[in-house]
Amino acid sequence: MKLTEVPEGKTVEVVDIKGGVGIRNRLAAIGLYPGAPIKVIKSPPGPMIVEVAGSRIALGKGMASKVEVMEL
Amino acid sequence: MKRNVKVALVGNPNVGKTAIMNALAGTNEMVGNWPGVTVKKKTGKYHFRGFEIELIDLPGIYSLTSYSLEERVTRNFLLSGEYDVVADVIDVTLLGRNLYLTLELLDMGIKPVIVLNKTDELNKLHFSIDVQKLEKILKLPVVTVSATKKEGLNNLSETFLRVATGDIKPEGFTPIYSEILEEAIELLTLKLKSQVKSNFPFNLRWISIKLLEKDPEILKLVERQLLEFNLILEEIEQIEKEIQNRFNLDLPTFVSKERFLLASKVAREVIDSSEKEITTETLSDKIDKLITYPFTGIPIFLLIMWLVFKITFSLSEPFINIIDQIFSNFIPGVVENLLSFLPKPIISLINDGILAGVGAVIVFLPILGLLYFLMSILEDSGYMARAAALWDNFMKIFGLSGASVIPMILGFGCNVPAIYATRAMRSPYQKLITMAIIPWISCSARLPVYTVFVAAFFQENRTAVILGLYLTGIALALFFSALMSRFLYRTEEDEFFIELPSYKLPSWNVVINETWIEVKDFLQKAGTVIFAVSVLIWALASLPPGVEYAGEKSFIGQIGKTIAPLFQPIGIEDWKPVVALIFGALAKEVVVGTLGTLYGTGESGLVEVLRTTFSPESALAFMVFTLLYTPCVATMAAIRQESGSWRFTLGVLAIDLTTAWILASITYHIAGTLF
Repeated sequence: MKLTEVPEGKTVEVVDIKGGVGIRNRLAAIGLYPGAPIKVIKSPPGPMIVEVAGSRIALGKGMASKVEVMEL
Repeated sequence: MKRNVKVALVGNPNVGKTAIMNALAGTNEMVGNWPGVTVKKKTGKYHFRGFEIELIDLPGIYSLTSYSLEERVTRNFLLSGEYDVVADVIDVTLLGRNLYLTLELLDMGIKPVIVLNKTDELNKLHFSIDVQKLEKILKLPVVTVSATKKEGLNNLSETFLRVATGDIKPEGFTPIYSEILEEAIELLTLKLKSQVKSNFPFNLRWISIKLLEKDPEILKLVERQLLEFNLILEEIEQIEKEIQNRFNLDLPTFVSKERFLLASKVAREVIDSSEKEITTETLSDKIDKLITYPFTGIPIFLLIMWLVFKITFSLSEPFINIIDQIFSNFIPGVVENLLSFLPKPIISLINDGILAGVGAVIVFLPILGLLYFLMSILEDSGYMARAAALWDNFMKIFGLSGASVIPMILGFGCNVPAIYATRAMRSPYQKLITMAIIPWISCSARLPVYTVFVAAFFQENRTAVILGLYLTGIALALFFSALMSRFLYRTEEDEFFIELPSYKLPSWNVVINETWIEVKDFLQKAGTVIFAVSVLIWALASLPPGVEYAGEKSFIGQIGKTIAPLFQPIGIEDWKPVVALIFGALAKEVVVGTLGTLYGTGESGLVEVLRTTFSPESALAFMVFTLLYTPCVATMAAIRQESGSWRFTLGVLAIDLTTAWILASITYHIAGTLF
């Protein structure tokens, strides 16, 4: 499912990130890569906030909808 | 022996590099841009044990790929070798993620001093770090500091010196990844070795890793160096296929994931945590939700911005009045009394040229200082990142990001600090677009012009007219940025995430110091341009000798008369408003004063005179023109300073003048059919 569909407070696993090499590489550097667990702090409307490797990351609508996740 | 030591500070965003710079170099800092690009460069100097230590703040980055300009700037600087020591600043509360960059440095063959910052926050989080063990694993010197509490700083400077003088020789750990990745790296390294010349300047292991990450710059570099580059490409393709089959991952992601996992492993080995992870929602999360849900977040944002304006303008007003009194009454009075033996033109040069020029620079200081001060507080407390996140979705429509909202809003107060506020933006291209559109945000100096014309012609609909002007500016700004981002800069991947730093009370010495550095920079760079243009306009208005100031026979009057026909399409026949517009380039509110002088009425009788020289449609067109035409000199000086390019600045000027002329003409003709 899409990251944007995950309810707040839930931890899921990243399956895939759609986007160019640049985006994927830079997200991996902050801990957002296929196989990584992420916790949804806030869902839309407005930016999504997720917890990745201990820090809070805000993702815009476009970005968040490119992240494919699955239940743990 | 060398007595000066250059230290480059590398690290993730929000790790406290600014605080470290501030704690070490204090007010002895300079800001500017990296050569040729709009990425902020900060340096600072201080003395320690008879050495002069120069700190160079590299842009805050998460990795060393070449996908963003900031990463390229950092990487190129690190490759240039123009430093004695590299200090890798790490936020100790996010050790695992921060070590990712450390591993990349080690991959490159760089052996940094590890600076563990924010150590004072460890107690709060109930975990400790085994520093000796970290030192042993990384084979690098590790120093713990707390920049905000000023702890560990002497030890840090000491370590810089010891590394620079060779007293400590960091061995540096070579990151070893999984077997399959190591095999791939080895294979590529061997292939490269057989092909490159003996004087190839880069570490082949690093180049191999970057090739596996498909780093565009490294691919280009290797292509230039090798005769049989396609052999290398084939090899990479082969490896990628295998990785795809086994792990279902593309090669670059596979490499970064491995590095991230290794970094996390190192972190786990040295962290001793006595508390399990917090699973409940923290207070910070609750606040984050409140201020990033549009429904609650936008009102809060508007309230904060309103407070920023309110505080800035009400506190700066008395200072501005005093400065105005000093430079246009008090000193000129003294000059006239004491230097009355000098010929009149010289007195005019001093009073109307030089003093007015200095005054034009000084008058910005209260507003700039206060706005910088308040902005630094918003930045340092962590609000700025949330505001950027809040507006991101909306601004994406126009090809911008949330980070451009604050500069644009500031523009309503004064365009000059708005331009400087773009410094906080990370994407260099969006920064240029934002700078280009800020002049269309109607600043408070334009309001006096509207007020006079509205009083003369549109008393009944004044709110609608003034609001219409503001909206025209905003609409044009957004339209233009949407247009620019469609056609230009498609190559740059836009900002796609924003890290939300933890909330904290602003640290006052950082805030005050940042404000001081920026104001100093304004005086040194923009100040000189503003002063020079003020004197130039004075000269044009007073020469040739003997003419009435800004009168028909003065150069400026002649210029006004010559270009007056250009203004016919917008309904202006007289040369006087044209001269007023030229003066308006100094500061837009000057348009009103100049009209008063030229029509011999002062500002009080101006409304009556305007009714006889303008028609409602030409008045409306004149206001539209004033809204959109040349940014004032101070804004242009700021754009020049921030973009680092006269070409860009003049390009903006050309676009603004053309747009103003076209829209004013359209306004004149449409209004003509309506009124």
